[in-house]
Amino acid sequence: MQDFRNRLLIITVILGLAFLVLGSRLWYLQVLRGEEFEKFSMENHIMVERIPAPRGRILDRYGKELVINRTSFDIYVMPKDVKDIPYLSSSLSQMLNLDSNQIEKNIKSALKKKSFKPVLITKDINRDQLAYIEARRSSLPGVIIEINNLRQYPHGVLGASFLGYIGKVSEAELQNNSKINNNDLVGKTGVEKGWESSLRGDDGYKQKVTDALGREVESNLFLEDLQDKKSMPGNDVLLTIDIELQQAAEEVLGEEAGAIVAVDVNSGEVLALASKPSFNPADFIKGIDSKTWSNLVNDKSSPLLNRATQGLYAPGSVFKMVPSVAALNEGFINEEEYVYCPGYYKSGSSTFRCWKRGGHGWVKLRSAIVRSCDVYFYKIAEMMGINNLNKYITAFGFGSTTDLGIEERAGISPSREWKQKRFNKPWYRGETIVSAIGQGYVSVTPLQVAMMTAAVANDGKLLKPTLIKEIVSYSGEEKFKHAPTVTSNIPVQKEMLDLVKDAMVGVVNDPGGTGRAARLKDLTVAGKTGTAQVVSLDSQSKERKHRDHAWFTSYAPAEAPEIAVTVLIEHGGKGGSVAAPIAKKILQVYKKLKEEREADDNV
Amino acid sequence: MFDRRLLKNFGWSLFLMTLAFSAISLLNLYSASYETGLVSFKKQFVWVGIGIVTLAMVSLLNYRFLKQYSIYIYGFSILLLVFVLVFGKEVAGSKSWINIASIATIQPSELAKIAVILILARFYDNDYQATPYGFLDLIKPIILIAVPFALILLQPDLGTALTMLLVSGSMVLFMGIKKWSVALILIIILGVSFYSWHYTLKPYQKDRISTFINPSSDPLNAGYNSIQSQIAVGSGGVTGKGLRSGSQTQLRFIPAQQTDFAFSVLAEEWGFLGSIFVLLLYFMIILWMLDTSSRAKDKFSMLVCFGIAAMFFWHVVVNVGMVIGLLPVTGVPLLIFSYGGSSTLTAMIGIGIVLGIRMRKFSMSREAIDLG
Repeated sequence: MQDFRNRLLIITVILGLAFLVLGSRLWYLQVLRGEEFEKFSMENHIMVERIPAPRGRILDRYGKELVINRTSFDIYVMPKDVKDIPYLSSSLSQMLNLDSNQIEKNIKSALKKKSFKPVLITKDINRDQLAYIEARRSSLPGVIIEINNLRQYPHGVLGASFLGYIGKVSEAELQNNSKINNNDLVGKTGVEKGWESSLRGDDGYKQKVTDALGREVESNLFLEDLQDKKSMPGNDVLLTIDIELQQAAEEVLGEEAGAIVAVDVNSGEVLALASKPSFNPADFIKGIDSKTWSNLVNDKSSPLLNRATQGLYAPGSVFKMVPSVAALNEGFINEEEYVYCPGYYKSGSSTFRCWKRGGHGWVKLRSAIVRSCDVYFYKIAEMMGINNLNKYITAFGFGSTTDLGIEERAGISPSREWKQKRFNKPWYRGETIVSAIGQGYVSVTPLQVAMMTAAVANDGKLLKPTLIKEIVSYSGEEKFKHAPTVTSNIPVQKEMLDLVKDAMVGVVNDPGGTGRAARLKDLTVAGKTGTAQVVSLDSQSKERKHRDHAWFTSYAPAEAPEIAVTVLIEHGGKGGSVAAPIAKKILQVYKKLKEEREADDNV
Repeated sequence: MFDRRLLKNFGWSLFLMTLAFSAISLLNLYSASYETGLVSFKKQFVWVGIGIVTLAMVSLLNYRFLKQYSIYIYGFSILLLVFVLVFGKEVAGSKSWINIASIATIQPSELAKIAVILILARFYDNDYQATPYGFLDLIKPIILIAVPFALILLQPDLGTALTMLLVSGSMVLFMGIKKWSVALILIIILGVSFYSWHYTLKPYQKDRISTFINPSSDPLNAGYNSIQSQIAVGSGGVTGKGLRSGSQTQLRFIPAQQTDFAFSVLAEEWGFLGSIFVLLLYFMIILWMLDTSSRAKDKFSMLVCFGIAAMFFWHVVVNVGMVIGLLPVTGVPLLIFSYGGSSTLTAMIGIGIVLGIRMRKFSMSREAIDLG
C-alpha cells in the first residue's frame, strides 16, 4: 500500500497544477482583460453570418440551362437591435409595400420570445428598393440585408414535371441532413429532390464582431477565435433530356391531359418526358404561398402528378407484344397458325368481344398484331394460362418501378398470388383472357410501356431508364457519368422478337395497319396502337371522362432502332387516330434535330 | 448494529463542503433560470434534497456490501443502458434518458460511471498480481470498461463516454501498467474507432462525433458558444456584476447556461473572486477524497475513493476548461453545479461512498466479525 501512497502524492501535485492552470486562465480573462471584455459585452455582438451556397444547375444533354440561380436580396430585422419598432415598421412598410402592423407584430413576438434570430421581413426585393434601404441604413438599426440565391427557369414551365419543385425544408428532412438549415429550400419532387445531395451546396459562414447597428467593427479580442469558411456551390446535373425534343412533346400535347416518353433504346437515356397538365416551378422559388398551393392540390386535373411515371393506366392493345412473345417463346403457337375471329370469343359461359364487331376472319400472329385482333390474343392467353403470361409481364418490367430516381409508381403485374394477397380470392380464367389485351387488373405507366418497347427494339434487353447523364462539380470535376445498365435480359429467342418487330412495322406501314397515322416517308416506324377502355364496352356515354385512353408506342428506325416514343392521351379516344399522329410528330422532330446536329458537326 | 464511533468519524468537513456547494449552485441556478420562470431552479431544489438524503443513506452502507454487490450494480447499469437505447426518450438527438412514470427522467449513463468505478476496484482488489500490469492481465477490466462505454457512445452521449474513459483510464494508470501495454491499448482503440467509423456508425452519429472532435465544423453551436462563454467570464471582472445582473447571462447569449455552461454564469455574476472560491472548494473536496484514499486499509476502498476523486477532477477540468476557452466544447456537466438530476445524484452517491469509507476506516476488525 505504501507504493500507492507515494503515487497519491504525485497525483496531488498533478491536481494542484491542473487547478493552477484553470485559475491562471481565470486570472487572465477576468483580472487582466476583464475591463476589455466588459466593454465588449456592453457594445458588441458576435454575429455569425451565413453565406448560402447556390444550388447546382440542371442542364439538358447538350448543356442548355434548364434550372439556374439568380441573386436575391432578402430583408431581415434583428429584433434586439431595433431602437424604435413603430418607426422602423412604418419605414419598411413604405419602402417595401408591406403591412406595417404585421411587421411590428412579428418583431414584437420575436422580442417576447427573446429570440436572437433575425426576423424575415421579405424576400427578393428589387434594385430600387435595395438602393433605397442601403441609403437609409444608419437610421434603421437592426435591419439586415441578406444575399441569397433563387431558382430561375430559363425555359419556363418546360420539363417541370420531372425537374420538380423546391420548398421549405421539413422537420424530417432537417433531422436527416446536418447541412440543411431551418429556413432552407430543398428539392421536394423530381430531379430537385432525387439529386438533392448532389445539387445542394455547402454553406459557408463568417463570424464577425458587430456594433449595435449590425455594422462590422474591428476588435482585437478574439481575432484568432473568429472563424470563417467559404461556401461551396452544389454540383451541376446534366440530364439526358433533349430540351428541344421535350419542347416539341409538350407543344403537341397542348391542352390534352397525357404523357409522352422518348427514350434511347440502346442506352436507356430518357430524351423527353412530358406530362400535361403541369405546374409552373417558378411559383415555388420563394416557398409557395398557401393559396397557389391549395389551388394546385385541389385541381381536378392533377397538375402535380407526373403522368409519365406516376400515372397508372390500362395499357390496352399496346400490351399485345407481351402475350405474343410469351406464347411464341413458350411454344403455344407458331407464326403460321391461324385463329378465326368471328368478332367474339367464347370461354365457358362467358363471351369476350373483339373491338371489331364484324370480326377479323382468319388471322395469324402478324395480321393479329397489325390489325389488333382481340380474339387471337384471347385464345392464346387461354391456352398458356396466367402463370406463363405473368412471367413475361413481369419480365418486361411491369409491376415494379424502373428506378428512374424521381416519383414513380409500380403498377400491377397480375398473378394468382397477387390476387390472393390483394383480394384474398382465387384467379378466374376470364381474368387471364382480358389481361392479354391489357385490360382487367393490368396497370402500367407510360414510362414502363416505353421501356418495354425499347426492350423489343433492342432484342430483349430491359434497360434501366435514366435521366442523369453526368454530374459535374463546381470546379469541373466529374462526379458521375451514366453507363447503360441492363435491369434484366428478357428470356426470349431473337427470332421470336423479330416476328413481333416485323408485325410492329406492319402496324404502321401495312395497308390495313391500325397505326398508319404514324407513317413517315423517310423513317421506318414500328409501332402498336392501344385504346384502353375506361368503362365497359357497351357504355355509349358521351362524357369525356368515360372516353377511352388513346395509346401509341413506337420505335424507329425499324432497321436499326435508336429511339422509342410512347404517347398516352387520357380519354383521347382511339389510339390509331389520336395518339399515333402525335408520335409521328415527335419522331419527325427527332429526325430533324438529329440531321441538324449532324450537319453542325460536319461544319 | 449501529456503531456510535461511525458518527464520531463522520466526515463532517466533506459533508459541509457539499452542503455549501449545493447552496451556491442553487443560488447560481436561481439567477440563470429567473428569466424562464425558475422552472429548473425548483426542480434542482428537489434533486439536491433527494441527493442529500441519498448521500446519507449511501454513507451508512458498509462499503464491503458495495464490493460484494458491485457485480449486480454493474449488471443493472448495463441493462439500463441497453434499455435506454431501445426504449429511451430522445432529447436533442440523443437517446440517453429514461422516463420514470413521466415524473422524472434519468440518465443511466451518469449512474454507470459509479458502477464502472466499483467494478474496477473489485477487479483490482481480487487480483494479487504484482504491478505493473501487462496487457493480458488487463483484458477483463478493458472489457468491463468497453461495454458501457460503447453503449453510451451509441446513444450518442459523447461527453459522458469521454469522462467515463478518463476516469477508468486514470484508475488503470494509477494501478500501474507496462509501457508497451499502453501502446497496444492505444492501437486497439484506434483500430476499433476506425472500423466503427467506416462500418457501423450511422450518419447522424458521425455528424455528432465530428462536431465533437472539430467544433468549428458547426460554428453556430460550438465555436460560437466558446466565444460567448469567454465574453461572459471575462466581463465578470474581479468582483462580478452581481446576482441576476450578468448581461450575457440574462440576455441568454450563452446556450445551456443552466447545464454545461453554468460555471460561466457564476464567473460573470461573481467575478474572479467567486469563481476562484468555487474552484478552491472543488480542490478541497478532491483533496479530501484523495486523503481518504491514502488512509484506506484495503485496495478496494482505496481505489473507489481514488476513482470518485478522479471523476470529480475530470468533470471540473473538462467543464471549466471548456467554459474558459481552454478545451473544446463537449457536453460534460460540472458535478453538483450544473442543473440535472442524474449528474447531481451521481455526485451525491459518490460523496456518500467516500464518506462511508472514511467513517469505517477505524473499525475494520470489528466489522469483519460482523460480516461473519
